[in-house]
Amino acid sequence: MRLRLMLALLLGIGAAAACDRGVRSEDVGMTSSGIAVSRAGTTGGQAVRPGIHPAVVFGERVNPYTGNASAIQDGRRLFVAYNCSGCHGGRAGGGMGPALRDSAWIYGNSDTQIFGTIVEGRSAGMPAWGKVLPEDQIWKLVAYIRTLGTAEEPDKVLQ
Amino acid sequence: MRIAYSLSAAVAAALVVSGCKGSATETGMTPSTGTAPAGEVTAALAATPSSGANGNPANAGPGEWTLPGRDYGQTRYSPLDQITAANVRNLKVAWTFSTGVPRGHEGSPLVVNNTMYIVTPYPNNVFAIDLTKPSGPLKWSYHPTTNPASQGEACCDVVSRGASYADGTIVFNRLDNHTVALDAETGKVKWDIQLDSINHGSTMTMAPLIVKDKVIVGNSGGEMGVRGWVAAVDLKSGKLLWRAYNTGPDKDVLIGADFKPYYPQYRGADAGIKTWPGEQWRLGGSTVWGWITYDPDANLIYYGTSNPGVWNPDLRPGDNLWGATVFARDPDTGAARWAYQLTPHDSWDYDGVNESMVVDLPIGGQSRKVVVHFDRNGFGYTIDRLTGQVLVAEPYQFINWSTGVDLKTGRPARVPSKETHQGVNARNICPSSTGARDQQPAAYSPRTGLFYTPTTNLCMDYKGIDASYIAGTPYLGADVQMYAGPGGNRGEFIAWDAVHGKKVWGDKEMFPVWSGALATAGDIVFYGTMDGWFKAVDAKTGQELWKFKCGSGVIGNAMTFLGPDGKQYVAVYSGIGGWAGAVALAGIANTDPTAALGAVGGMADLPKYTAPGSTMYVFGL
Repeated sequence: MRLRLMLALLLGIGAAAACDRGVRSEDVGMTSSGIAVSRAGTTGGQAVRPGIHPAVVFGERVNPYTGNASAIQDGRRLFVAYNCSGCHGGRAGGGMGPALRDSAWIYGNSDTQIFGTIVEGRSAGMPAWGKVLPEDQIWKLVAYIRTLGTAEEPDKVLQ
Repeated sequence: MRIAYSLSAAVAAALVVSGCKGSATETGMTPSTGTAPAGEVTAALAATPSSGANGNPANAGPGEWTLPGRDYGQTRYSPLDQITAANVRNLKVAWTFSTGVPRGHEGSPLVVNNTMYIVTPYPNNVFAIDLTKPSGPLKWSYHPTTNPASQGEACCDVVSRGASYADGTIVFNRLDNHTVALDAETGKVKWDIQLDSINHGSTMTMAPLIVKDKVIVGNSGGEMGVRGWVAAVDLKSGKLLWRAYNTGPDKDVLIGADFKPYYPQYRGADAGIKTWPGEQWRLGGSTVWGWITYDPDANLIYYGTSNPGVWNPDLRPGDNLWGATVFARDPDTGAARWAYQLTPHDSWDYDGVNESMVVDLPIGGQSRKVVVHFDRNGFGYTIDRLTGQVLVAEPYQFINWSTGVDLKTGRPARVPSKETHQGVNARNICPSSTGARDQQPAAYSPRTGLFYTPTTNLCMDYKGIDASYIAGTPYLGADVQMYAGPGGNRGEFIAWDAVHGKKVWGDKEMFPVWSGALATAGDIVFYGTMDGWFKAVDAKTGQELWKFKCGSGVIGNAMTFLGPDGKQYVAVYSGIGGWAGAVALAGIANTDPTAALGAVGGMADLPKYTAPGSTMYVFGL
């Protein structure tokens, strides 16, 4: 009973802090370890948010370029220019890095999740591009990646 | 519930912390918002094998296998003769061992002092199996802290090609550029030296060769804009003794007064700069990820260098020395003795890293000291190993990029329509980038005088495209698609007469033969296939004598040894992967023929025949 009360209290604090930053309330459970409370006191009321889910870090984001054909084409160009194609395959079928045109997604394939993976990098060799690419370009890459295997995919391979 | 939740949060936090660290400080990305960071881009024969030349190190017995290719000359020949053409049909599985890593298993185990040593693909675990006890318990195992980010820097699966043994020491390379020496009895680390960095795309996948008191190693990364090198590390202390780069000024390449190449185009100062535009040699690949061989009499090591970087040849006009080149060096000093460039201005990713086998052959009525080298470019070369003069150069598989090698100049005659260029999709080039053969090594039997080599029969379309150098990411500039070559069989296992440059027999295979060969005194030859067959064929005729279907495709190199029971065994890894086999691994989609650097186009049906595995099979009578 006492434990439950404490948990509710913690969640409440976490939720308040989270709402300040516009993070969805379902994510604040991440702050219920108790560490969050003491940290909250020392970080101006902001809870620690471990960010395995990009939505926790970035908030649930909406790609401004979804369905924008010219941005998708730009994304394809950037995919080659930044050497994404070298690792993930000429048409993102994989190689040094995993395929992006199949159904398996280690870190998820929502706009926010793909955005998070590009920004943060992943430990098996995916570089962190967040500090070197403008957000605008990252969203164009996401827009391109979301078209792989669909009718909208640009620069399809000629067989 | 609460505890579990807190734990997961803690784990998540830990992941974030370590993930940030790994990404930010260890992959060392330096991309800018532009595509080209400033300052980093510019634009049977009566063969008579010599007794000592290709011999085993003095401390290795006939039933042992201490070096990657068994002997210094890498003939992959064993004098064991219990298993013969007459009885091989009785060969059965004796025991198996799972390495627990379902990635491409290239290379082979070693057997020394009744102990078998295995190095796995990343994370490069090492197992020492006690062959004297029932059930083969481990003497020890070693689990290094190989940097996970190195997986993202390895072009063609996270393979290891094995270890070398000498003086109670097992030496192997980690994918993240550490060379490590372990006490063979205890597994304790004797020394560990980091020789390069993944920050700019270097990895290490090759098997070291121990020559006397030196460990010879080199790097991988010709697809990443690295600068290739070969180095010697002191076997006792683990100290770096010398390092020779394969591009750049003579002082870096260790070209000095002893350098006496046979052909004049290699003479003159600083050819490793002058045959490149601007500073492109700094990103010029020419790595050393294949095999090192050694001639104790001449005291020379031999190795080949990879493709020059970048793949798009229009970005690097010139011969691009010393890419796609065979070097002979003094192992004591690293000084270059001679060099021969197999593919000047490589325009197809024809790495020259395949082994140069040390043998003596009767040529022109006299015994010649030669190396025999089956190159990616499709030519089987017989080269005087003291001078670098090419004696024989004939295609051992279908090729159409060249009409032949001029032995007077050493240069291949090129077919203009098969040159590759920026913005042009050059069609039907044979062989494909995977080569008429990749690293999977050949065997030589002094009893038949024949060389036995796996081959690949893939062709390709190759289009040069823009390339931007971003440290730690691929530096390619090519859009490639492969497909089956003439005849439709994508591989063939052949016997080769290196005196006359002629194929003697061939066994066609559905897929490229990506497993190394083993020849024995039982006059049989072993090899594996990507669809999982392990085969024994007659050394004289190529007739299939026995086969066994392994759990996963075979891209490892067969080896043989004597067990403590005095019986002969044959061992091979089963575990699909590598470059051509990548499409069978998790994470590769066969709907993109340009995936895995273009290999998927030619291999899209492989997943119908095999799936990832990680088993070593040991066979006995």
